[in-house]
Amino acid sequence: MSPVSTPHAPTKTVIERTYRAALADVWNLWTTREGFESWWGPQGFRVDVAELDARAGGTLRYEMIAATPEMVRAMTEAGQPVTHGVRSTFADVRPMTHLVLRNVIDFVPGVPPYEADITVSLSQEGERVRMVVTLAPLHSPEFSAMQKEGFESQLTKLDERFA
Amino acid sequence: MQLDVFQALADPTRRRIVETLLAGEQQVGDVVEKAGIHQSGVSRHLRILHESGFVDMRPDGQRRLYALRPEPFHELEQWLARYRRLWDARLDRFGAALEKKQGRSIKNSRRSDRT
Repeated sequence: MSPVSTPHAPTKTVIERTYRAALADVWNLWTTREGFESWWGPQGFRVDVAELDARAGGTLRYEMIAATPEMVRAMTEAGQPVTHGVRSTFADVRPMTHLVLRNVIDFVPGVPPYEADITVSLSQEGERVRMVVTLAPLHSPEFSAMQKEGFESQLTKLDERFA
Repeated sequence: MQLDVFQALADPTRRRIVETLLAGEQQVGDVVEKAGIHQSGVSRHLRILHESGFVDMRPDGQRRLYALRPEPFHELEQWLARYRRLWDARLDRFGAALEKKQGRSIKNSRRSDRT
């Protein structure tokens, strides 16, 4: 296995949301099969979770599946498979508070494998739950997929298709 | 080899060189020293960064000075804005899924109130 390097992120994206909800419900959307499947994935896709072990070092495996006839057609025309397997690790888990979902990007030609983290922090604020999601966009699976497949032009095609 | 902005920055060594050049125009020797990368590597990566539009080179007597160009960063910024919208949409679905779940647990708790 080749060593995994963690390059310094040139930029991070931080997204904050506040929900009037129970902390456990917010947590479960990230850490249970049913919860994760209910929202994850880009528009036009659904996910089928094969394995979700939300403990530090636990594995997350799922299939990302084109879910609408338009997306299936778009992916097929772009020469992309309509379903593809994704594997991540729960690198850090502090129940109800903090989790790090780590994706190993090991499929970009000419680039050594590296890790891309999605960090989620939850805090109770009165009746509300504050959720902070920190992303390293330049090291995200989306970014890497674009590098690999020249996805940029295909996304533009999709934009036009759905405009 | 002509790379797009994403491929050009996919390499961690090139990212380190770009970060070093954020301080301003420099010669190869300075980049080698600050980025801690071997000279031959720096020259190769500077050439790639130059070809992909990230870096300008101007001769100054015997020296060659390298500096960042703003254009590819604008392109990157536009892409990042789109990436952010993608995540905003994803978290909208998160919120919708949460509401649905809340609705169910409120019903459930009402049901358990009655028992």
